[in-house]
Amino acid sequence: MLVVNAKNVVKRYEEKIALDHFNLEVKEGEVLGLLGPNGCGKTTAINSILSLLNYDKGEIEVFGEKMTSNSYDIKRQIGLVPQEVSVFENLTVRENIDYFAGLYIDDSKQRKQYVDEAIEFVDLKDYEKFYPRKLSGGLKRRLNIAAGIVHKPKLIILDEPTVAVDAQSRNFILEGILELNKQGSTIIYTTHYLEEVEQIASRIVIMDNGKDIVSGTTKELKEMITTSEKIVVSFLEIKDEVVSGLSNITNVIEATRVNGDFIIMFENGANNLTNLLEFIKKHGLVYTKLYSQQPTLNDVFLELTGKELRD
Amino acid sequence: MKSLARNVIYQGKNFFRDSGQVFWTILFPIILASFFNLAFSGLTYETIEDINVGVSEDNPLKFMLEDVEEFNIYEITDESYKDKLINEEIHVYVDEDMELVVSQSGISQSIIKEVVEQIKQAIALGRPIEGTEFQVSYIKQKDQESNSIIVIYYALIAMVSAYALFIGIETVSLMQANLSNVGIRLNVTPLKKESFLVSGTIVAFILNIISNIILLLFLKYVLKLDLFTNFTYSFILIIIGNLFGVALGVFLGASSKKDNNTKTAFGIAITLFFSFLSGLNGPGMKSLIDEKAPIIGRINPFSIITNNLYRINLIGNTETFPEGIVVLGIYIVILLCGSYFFLRRRTYDSI
Repeated sequence: MLVVNAKNVVKRYEEKIALDHFNLEVKEGEVLGLLGPNGCGKTTAINSILSLLNYDKGEIEVFGEKMTSNSYDIKRQIGLVPQEVSVFENLTVRENIDYFAGLYIDDSKQRKQYVDEAIEFVDLKDYEKFYPRKLSGGLKRRLNIAAGIVHKPKLIILDEPTVAVDAQSRNFILEGILELNKQGSTIIYTTHYLEEVEQIASRIVIMDNGKDIVSGTTKELKEMITTSEKIVVSFLEIKDEVVSGLSNITNVIEATRVNGDFIIMFENGANNLTNLLEFIKKHGLVYTKLYSQQPTLNDVFLELTGKELRD
Repeated sequence: MKSLARNVIYQGKNFFRDSGQVFWTILFPIILASFFNLAFSGLTYETIEDINVGVSEDNPLKFMLEDVEEFNIYEITDESYKDKLINEEIHVYVDEDMELVVSQSGISQSIIKEVVEQIKQAIALGRPIEGTEFQVSYIKQKDQESNSIIVIYYALIAMVSAYALFIGIETVSLMQANLSNVGIRLNVTPLKKESFLVSGTIVAFILNIISNIILLLFLKYVLKLDLFTNFTYSFILIIIGNLFGVALGVFLGASSKKDNNTKTAFGIAITLFFSFLSGLNGPGMKSLIDEKAPIIGRINPFSIITNNLYRINLIGNTETFPEGIVVLGIYIVILLCGSYFFLRRRTYDSI
């Protein structure tokens, strides 16, 4: 079943097109990573799906029904973790979580249980009586998550939940998301950090300039591009006429020099490293560094759009 | 109902713990009242002495005015009444058309004006005037010291009763996704906007009433100002003032996409300006408005409250009270309808 089905969505902000015939299908039970650089339209896409924003064209269905601002039954099944921390500054951690839980859960006993579980889940038990202004950035993000998932929704949307968060909290959040998925929630996770989607997403949609460019698993995306291997090597000394020979090695797509290192892109082939070592031996070169990298999502993005994913 | 109560409790906590709100709604009025007391307590308190009234020859009101103990009636047959007014030998001159001539405004002039108005109304309604006790007797009964500076405190009470507008503005901001982060989250929940708004307005009303009561207790027991002789009518006015403040705040919050600080500043400017016109900076402005542009006194919501508090408690006159309540009620309905129009099915082009 498709939990979210967005077709041909167009959204303009005056002259700028924020979503350009954007399509998104999210299957039940998956962790979908929506990946793209800053300003590509990820948050606009999410806000349009949630009916927070008007859009100019297209159709959006959530749980098989058209999503509007009055779709309260659908909203009961959704949990949002917005990009900005969205809690009441003058309510404590527990009060915030309890308040938002109360918007979904009428039974007080069940609500208390869910609130306790949410606080446990984000490990904020020691900070229950703290006000948000007393929390660090990472802890505020955890509170933000707790407020969005306390009611155990079927669909959880997290919009860049790890921005400005320390590494420990980030790891904690990512592991928590995987746990939520194991518990049965479908997850939509937007980010511009490659390593995050590679770590948790079962399927990735890459966005740029308001369009969905490509989608698939990490493996499928990497197989889409011609680069199948990247080898980084630096030499003690290499003559210019030898440098040009690097591009002529079998299966080499491109060899570029970046700050003294040579980055050599290879097509799919079994003996890429062997071929390179033979070249090095043939020309009597001495290397100081050599390692092989599988293509990253950044390479996928680069090949598809001509630019780096990172800012 | 349970959900409404929950919302009221949590929104109440949120606002009550806001130190900025506490300062503006509770501390600021107390500071202002203290300042007024420091600045003006050195001024002479007027005790109401007998009022010297000049009347024209064969004035039909003469015999009626003579019945009022506090009035000293002087028949003046020529234009010398003008000099007597300037020299303050008489406080007011009543001509044969029952029109008043005064050279200055003050409590004595206000009293005679009220009495003459009562007489005119009685005549117009065909009621017998002989033996009528006009509403001046409060002076003797209550031994009320009169202080024209008192109008400042009434104006302050009027202004502060409308301070519920701050929470009204904040409530509307909180529920809008393009104005607050909490609004983004709230708009994705099954919470209906009307529910949040109603609970916010209840909180605004309750918290501001509490702050008003604190101010009144401060005025009575700390500054020793006995401002009220008629608690029932006065309290009704204050409650209506609070409802007006809530409606104004909701309207300001709903009608503009500006940020909260801008709306709050606008709210402060409105309350200060209209309170100024109602006498917040002294009785002079109030008297000037009453004299030159009385219509403002009848439509300025703060003047309505100030003037009625003044009349009810100082002169014992409740005649303009119903009109004042109706006018304020109309304002409340208009503001709430306007707010509904702006908020109804609001969707966002950008957040």
